[in-house]
Amino acid sequence: MDKALIELLARRAGLAKALAEFPDDVEAAAKQAADVASRIKRPADPAAEPWPPMKAGTGL
Amino acid sequence: MPVGEAASAIAAKKLSPVDLTKALLDRIGRLDPKLNAFIRVDGDAALQAAKAAEAEAMSGRLRGPLHGVPVGIKDIIDVAGLPTTCHSKVRADHMATSDAVCVEKLRGAGAIVLGKLSTHEFAIGGPSFDLPWPPARNPWNPDHHPGGSSSGSGSGVAAGLFPMALGTDTGGSVRNPASCCGIVGLKPTYGLVSRRGVFPLSFTLDHIGPMTRTVADNALMLEAIAGHDPLDPGSAAAVQGHYTKGVERGIRGLRVGFVRHFHETDTPAHPDVAAALETVASTLQKEGAEVCDVSLPPLGEFGAVNRVILQSEAWSIHAPWLGERPGDYGMLARRRLMPGAFMGSGDYVLASRRRLEMIAAVEAVLREVDVLLCASSMDPACRIDDPVEVERTYPRQARTPFNTTGHPALAMMSGLSSGGMPVSVQFVGRYFDEATIFAVARAWERAAGTDKKHPPIG
Repeated sequence: MDKALIELLARRAGLAKALAEFPDDVEAAAKQAADVASRIKRPADPAAEPWPPMKAGTGL
Repeated sequence: MPVGEAASAIAAKKLSPVDLTKALLDRIGRLDPKLNAFIRVDGDAALQAAKAAEAEAMSGRLRGPLHGVPVGIKDIIDVAGLPTTCHSKVRADHMATSDAVCVEKLRGAGAIVLGKLSTHEFAIGGPSFDLPWPPARNPWNPDHHPGGSSSGSGSGVAAGLFPMALGTDTGGSVRNPASCCGIVGLKPTYGLVSRRGVFPLSFTLDHIGPMTRTVADNALMLEAIAGHDPLDPGSAAAVQGHYTKGVERGIRGLRVGFVRHFHETDTPAHPDVAAALETVASTLQKEGAEVCDVSLPPLGEFGAVNRVILQSEAWSIHAPWLGERPGDYGMLARRRLMPGAFMGSGDYVLASRRRLEMIAAVEAVLREVDVLLCASSMDPACRIDDPVEVERTYPRQARTPFNTTGHPALAMMSGLSSGGMPVSVQFVGRYFDEATIFAVARAWERAAGTDKKHPPIG
C-alpha cells in the first residue's frame, strides 16, 4: 500500500486529524491491515458461510 | 488465602470480612505502588460492604458462596458509582450508573468490590507509558510486564492483593496475564458470561473470565458469574453448569489431545516453555489420561482471522473518537485500533467465513478427544521497558484460536523458567464443558503444586 493510497483511505475513514498529527501511526496501521488480511486462506467452497450465522428469532 | 477457604472461614464465623478487607487494603497500600495493579482503590466502599457482610454472617445470613470475599474488577467493566476509564484519557470522565451483569452477580454471591484494575488501554494498547495511569507490573519481578490486557487483574491476584479478579479476553487477555503471573485464568465458552456493562473491544470475540490463584477458586467464581442474560445478544441459552462439584474427580480414562505443532513448528517456543509442556503431558498420563498428538489449522492463520475480525469490529466502535481526538489515545492503542479503517468489507466477511471452517476443524478434533493441551505464551514475560522484546514476544502465543472458535480455554502455570519467571500451559474443552477443563487443570495443579507457588513479594 503506497503513501498516496494510505492518505486517501485515511481521509475517507475520517482520519485526517490523525494523519496530520500521527502520520507514522496511520502508516503502521495501514501496513498492519494489509499484512494481516493477506494471510487468510480463502475457503475452497464458494458457498462457505460466515460465523456467527444469521438466526431469525434469536434476537432481543 | 484462597477464595474457597476464606468463604468457608467467614461462613463458620472464624474470619471477619472486615479484618480480611483491612488486611488486603494494608497489603495494597504497601505493594501496589510497586505494581500499579489498581487504577482506583475503593477502600471506603469496600469496608462499608465488609461491615454489612460481617453483620449478615454473624446473624447466619449468607448471600452466597463468595460471602465477604474481596474481588478486583478490570477497569473496562462497569461498577456503579465509579468511572470505567478503560485506562484511557478518552474515558477519564466516564461514570458508571449501574453494575455490569458479572459484577452484579459477584455481589449477589456476596463478593466485595475492592476497586478498579489496570488494563491495556481499551483492552488492546499496552503495556504503555503514555497513558494517564502507569502500566501494571509483574510481582515475580516488577521489571517485567505482567501480560495483558487484564494486567492489573493478573498482577494483583498473583501478588495476593485480592484472591480473585475479573478479566476480559478478546485475543487472550485473561490467559496472557494468567500465564505471565503464574495464576489460573479462564476464558469461558463464548456467551456463557454476560458482556452487558463491559466496554466492548470486539463484539463476537469478547469474553469475561475469572482469574484466581487456584483451579477450585476459578470454578467457584465461574459458577457465580455464568448464566443466560436475555439482554446480551451474544448470551447463550445453555443452562448454567455446576463447575465446583467435579473439580477433584480425577482424569482417569480422559483423552487429551496435545497440539504440539503450535509450539514446535508454527511458533517455536522458548525451551523452558516446551520442556514444561512435556512435563504436563507426562504427568497427565501418570494421572490416568490418554495423551495423543492432534492437529489444528496453523497458528498464523488463526491469528490473522482473529485480527481482521477484532480490528474491524473495534474500528466500528472507535472510529468517531479516533477521528476527533486521536491524541487522547496512547500510541499503541492508536496503532492497534486504526487498522480496521484500512480493511474492506470483503476482508471481514472472508475472515468470518474462514472462522466457521476453523470452528469445524476444532470441533472435529474434540469429537476424538475430551480436552486439548497446548501452549499459552511461547516465552516467559520479558522486561516491561524493552519495547522491542515486548513487541516480539506478545504475538508469540496460542490463545487467539479459541477466541476465534469460542471454545473454553484455561491458562495456568506449568513451572518456572530458568530466569525465575512463570511459564504456562493451556487446556481447551468442548463448548460449555468447562467442568472437564477444571478437572484436568486440577489434576495438574495437584500433581505439580502450582497453587503453592507464589511470587517472592511482600
